[in-house]
Amino acid sequence: MKPRLELTSVPPWTVTPTLPDADRTGASWTVVAIGAEAGAVVDTWCAQIASVRPTAAVRVHRVDDAVTAVEAVDADLAEACAGWRLMVAGPAHECLRVRAHAVRCDVADDEMIFAATEVEQRTVLCVHCHARTTTTAALEDTVVCNGCGRNLFVYYHVSRRQGAHLGFMVDAERPVARA
Amino acid sequence: MTALDLVVTAVDDSLPDVRSVTLARPDGTTLPSFTPGSHIVVQCGDVANAYSLTGDSVQPTQYEISVLEHPDGAGGSRWIHALEVGDSVSVLPPRSAFAPVLRARKHLLIAAGIGVTPMISHLRSARQWGRDVELLYVHKPGRGAHLDDIAALTDAARIYTRRADFLAVLADVLSTQPFGTHLYVCGPAAFIDDVVAAAVEHGWPQSRIHFERFGVGALDPGEPFIVKLANSGTTITVDSGVSLLEALKANGLDVPNMCRQGVCGECRLTVSGGEIEHRDTYLTDADKAAGDAIMACVSRAASSELELKL
Repeated sequence: MKPRLELTSVPPWTVTPTLPDADRTGASWTVVAIGAEAGAVVDTWCAQIASVRPTAAVRVHRVDDAVTAVEAVDADLAEACAGWRLMVAGPAHECLRVRAHAVRCDVADDEMIFAATEVEQRTVLCVHCHARTTTTAALEDTVVCNGCGRNLFVYYHVSRRQGAHLGFMVDAERPVARA
Repeated sequence: MTALDLVVTAVDDSLPDVRSVTLARPDGTTLPSFTPGSHIVVQCGDVANAYSLTGDSVQPTQYEISVLEHPDGAGGSRWIHALEVGDSVSVLPPRSAFAPVLRARKHLLIAAGIGVTPMISHLRSARQWGRDVELLYVHKPGRGAHLDDIAALTDAARIYTRRADFLAVLADVLSTQPFGTHLYVCGPAAFIDDVVAAAVEHGWPQSRIHFERFGVGALDPGEPFIVKLANSGTTITVDSGVSLLEALKANGLDVPNMCRQGVCGECRLTVSGGEIEHRDTYLTDADKAAGDAIMACVSRAASSELELKL
């Protein structure tokens, strides 16, 4: 039985591809596209910002993965002033990773938005060995941990700090066949 | 909440219209500590008013408040201005709806007039803990309160006696704060509205804007309405200029309450019918949109009738 997802820590945009409008209330923006598919989203956002703040400072980064996105965010944050906004488009699991970094940098929830271009892949953090496994999986699926080989249940919990789903051993109480 | 029975140990009338009062236990023992930005609710004769604490916050032996006299107010400030050393005063323990956000990279304090009082305890705590803080304070010429405290507590204060001078720098101040700064505003209602609007204009998100509306800029008296009590079927008329809380009380309904300014959350009632005109700062936007709760001390009906689960 699935809980109501809005009562969990799973952001809705990691379940359904979501393309929100740009946050036009800021004074300066860092806009990140992760992957080719996100490019169009970022173009739309930039046009939306330009329509209300034509002279605003908007930094656009088109990158291939969350690691490069985080580097770009860090560089911009170092010089950011109050009024800065972060907008990231890309696969949901990569967006979560960027969000985790932003949360650690004390970016508030009303200072960042995410557009998920794809929600099939999930990163699962193994609670037993702490390894991350990124694979195509839905909530409640079972994935094999990259680190320890356990069968992990993809639980309805996304760690804001880790930017990953929590996974725990699904068959811990099942007798193991012995030769 | 248990009231504290205190006595006046000192009054300071060195500023026109503003009186600073020092309160302590009769035996001089320690009072409850408080977070910066806290207020106490003082029972001023028939009315209870909230005043910010301006003194030391850690195991204090005295509470200090500064009160601007409102000649046309409900009488609370006049009552304070008539106190003498040795008089007994009943206060509710400190509460805070205006605490510093400890994760903030920097704290920007903007105050006008007597609204500077909660900033004093913010400055004390910022100094004690080495937090980055900046104060902008606007007051009428010759009417600056706590100027000595400010000078002793921070080097990062800018004080203005002309509103135009303050407004000339406000945009620049708001647009150049390092990311992660939180903004705290206190003063007359129109001042708070203007500063908050300027912050929003400069891209500040709501989560980084904090303000406190105590005691300044009274609410308009509002339209009369009828309140129906769902359990008993009783109807009560709430006249213009009378709060829902007062009307209920006059009809023998003892609703818990404290600040009577829409801040503390004590007098929250459940609404089962009718539209609400929310005038408090306690309920969240989502609470207000849900329309099933009202703060009886300040809010009113937006329709001609309101039904309460009472």
